[in-house]
Amino acid sequence: MNDYIARVTENLRQRFSLEPEYLQSVTAWLDMIAPAAEDPRYEKLDLITRMVEPERMFSFLIPWVDDQGVTHTNHGYRVQFNSAIGPYKGGLRFHPTVNPSVVKFLGFEQTYKNALTGLPIGGAAGGADFDPRGRSNREIMRFCQAFMYALYRYIGADTDVPAGDIGVGSREIGWLYGAYKKVTGRAQSSALTGKGLTYGGSKVRQEAAGFGTVYFLARMLDHQGETLEGKRLIVSGFGNMSWGVCRKAAELGGKVVTLSGPDGCIYDPDGVCTQEKFDFMVHMRHSGEDRVEAYADRFGVEFYPGKRPWAVPGDAALPCAAENELGVEDAVMLLANGVRYYVEGANMPATADALKLLRLSPKILTAGAKASGSGGVAVSALEMAQNAVRYSWSRREVDEKLRAIMTGIYDASAAAAEEYGLGYDLIAGNDIAAFKIISEAMIAQGL
Amino acid sequence: MSINHAYLSGLMDRVIARNPAEPEFHQAVREVLTSLVPVVEARPEFIKEGVMDCLVEPERIIKFRVPWEDEQGNVHVNRGFRVQFNSAIGPYKGGLRFHPTVYEGIIKFLGFEQIFKNSLTGLPIGGGKGGSDFDPKGRTDLEVMRFCQSFMTELFKYIGPDTDVPAGDIGVGGREIGYLFGQYKRLRNEFTGVLTGKGLTYGGSLARTEATGYGLCYFTGCMLQDAGRSFDGETVVISGSGNVALYACEKAMQLGAKVVAMSDSAGYVYDKDGIDLPYMKDLKEVRRGRICEYAESHPGAAYHAGCRDIWSIPCGIALPCATQNELDLDAAKTLIRNGCFCVSEGANMPCTPEAVDALQAAGVLFAPAKAANAGGVATSALEMSQNSMRFSWTFQEVDDHLKKIMVDLYRNAKNAAEQYGAPGDLAAGANIAGFLKVGESMLAYGII
Repeated sequence: MNDYIARVTENLRQRFSLEPEYLQSVTAWLDMIAPAAEDPRYEKLDLITRMVEPERMFSFLIPWVDDQGVTHTNHGYRVQFNSAIGPYKGGLRFHPTVNPSVVKFLGFEQTYKNALTGLPIGGAAGGADFDPRGRSNREIMRFCQAFMYALYRYIGADTDVPAGDIGVGSREIGWLYGAYKKVTGRAQSSALTGKGLTYGGSKVRQEAAGFGTVYFLARMLDHQGETLEGKRLIVSGFGNMSWGVCRKAAELGGKVVTLSGPDGCIYDPDGVCTQEKFDFMVHMRHSGEDRVEAYADRFGVEFYPGKRPWAVPGDAALPCAAENELGVEDAVMLLANGVRYYVEGANMPATADALKLLRLSPKILTAGAKASGSGGVAVSALEMAQNAVRYSWSRREVDEKLRAIMTGIYDASAAAAEEYGLGYDLIAGNDIAAFKIISEAMIAQGL
Repeated sequence: MSINHAYLSGLMDRVIARNPAEPEFHQAVREVLTSLVPVVEARPEFIKEGVMDCLVEPERIIKFRVPWEDEQGNVHVNRGFRVQFNSAIGPYKGGLRFHPTVYEGIIKFLGFEQIFKNSLTGLPIGGGKGGSDFDPKGRTDLEVMRFCQSFMTELFKYIGPDTDVPAGDIGVGGREIGYLFGQYKRLRNEFTGVLTGKGLTYGGSLARTEATGYGLCYFTGCMLQDAGRSFDGETVVISGSGNVALYACEKAMQLGAKVVAMSDSAGYVYDKDGIDLPYMKDLKEVRRGRICEYAESHPGAAYHAGCRDIWSIPCGIALPCATQNELDLDAAKTLIRNGCFCVSEGANMPCTPEAVDALQAAGVLFAPAKAANAGGVATSALEMSQNSMRFSWTFQEVDDHLKKIMVDLYRNAKNAAEQYGAPGDLAAGANIAGFLKVGESMLAYGII
């Protein structure tokens, strides 16, 4: 690491000591891109500082009234992190843990995730410290409206295009978009993505995250002269992403043999490969019970209470549930079981130590969420493209474009890793390739 | 030279009276009005409804002060211009030129020409042009950036993806477009296709580098086909070794021709076995070396200092892609004597008027720059399309669009020339076809 990056890092540590999530993701990234950051122009233009701090940040109060007539006041945020390659783009999170540090961390990660999709989208994130759990539909609608009445003046199709994240699903996007349309008086559908199919959403948006991760894995296999045919996939979670993974894996000849929930995990040696099983996953999710044991009861397979699936042998592990769901012991287990591919679907599913162990082991090939988990945002950008041309693509067209985008991300990551002498380190390659795109665009556009 | 039509001739006099001391603008208007005589004879409504009078008057001219500070702290004041000439068929579109010779007359002249060139591409782009008398030569990156930011801080009020979309021209390349775009984005907080010629990382189009040279060969290919010929097996001489020349060379070779000569400002090389294009690209695009080095590493090739004699090399097809007035009457006579049957202009105005007359009189197929090198601006418009739809085409897709545009452009120019009594005169045909689309639209809008 050169002097300049060391100074930037130290400066950030001093100024943002109270923002641990933001600081952690930025400093980890600086380590990763250091081999590619020797160009003297970076210091002359103070480029690194400008790449790790947001261009602009808004915070606003959101007063709203619950069903009992009690007034609540929440705190909303939008971080417009980087617009070097397109309008700001990133999700809204409604969760009690949301604070400026979390939103900055998310906006930072989003910037470099978006860059590699090859689509014209900058980086952003936002949200509120609102907890939708236990709230009625009407209360959530009122909250969404109050939130949008504060946010609308900062966003727009050419400026900033929010999407969903934790606590913001298609229901919330619907209410947010309705409020945006009402207050601006314009049916500018591409001001938000993740919309319903009746009012400007894209086909394959629901499946996109899972499909993207499987396409990425397929490309990794292809590079090794293998295919998905007959491969056993160890998958965690049973939500939207896991559902997409099961479907696309089955289509390409592989089989997902595990799922997990807060209550434990199931092992299905025949694979989650039939329409009946896919449908049952949706049923489990909609039931709101948040447990996976029901799958074992329904299909007569083993249920392991309180366990995560990483002890099950297989060819590839795809964590699709939550952050830090995979620790060092789990990583050791994967290696001992001869799992050869580790492909992240969820954001930051492995602890830092576990990821390091996997990344540096020659026995397993590792892909990070910023690359293999970008199917969702890729299809968000395709939703923007369809809104822009006022026309919808068929399922097949969107799916085909998604595959090409994921392949492109893999290729760019692998090429960058090789260029900087990092062998087959896809995670470092991914960060460096994204760094190169954003830095080039920023230099071109001046101070 | 007077225009052989009472009304248009009077209009020309009024243009001169209203725009004194702007000879470039007068010349451009005269050339177009002359080609349009048969059109207004057949369609008198263009005069009666005021279309001709409106055509020669810009919709709007913006002139502004551009103050900036150099690295020594000295303040400089330049003058900036934007001529929004005609928006009948789309948002104003045309380059920005930063050069000490820039004044209102030059910008008006360029903006006027742009109307017809843009119309010919078949894409929805009107005509505009702008620039400044700023001289980027000898200025540091920082000074150029400050100038671009000051320029845009005024210009941004008048442009936008649906209003006016500037591009580069002399003195405004990728670096300047980047600075201009960055400042526009900062002031508006909008990321749109407000400028073209952008870098690939922030909204530029693939195949833009290749576009003019490829387009030239697509156009020439159509012209040859109509004459029962093709590039296949022909010997080609190309002047220049910039983007236009290199990619004209590449495409001509792909179409089966043998390119035997290329040049730079110091001289030319003649390689009778055919130019080694990979070497030439590396020499000119990567190493930025002189063309004499080519002969040093290619024993079969000969280097000649000076460029004039390049046209004495026997060839079937000549593609002047270097600079204005590089092919004069003597060169034209030599080409004709050596059996050349086709001359297509890749550069702007590379053939002198006497050379053009001689070539056409001898029955040589002649493609004028206005039509034949429109591939560049066509790809600018394709950049706008891609920005609008927030999605990028592959190289192949852009190239396919470009090819179709050039084929259509050729057909339109050819048919217009035939329809209005000048068969084979693609220069007149280009003016007429370009005008008709604009003129019909202006008629449709009424008197506004």
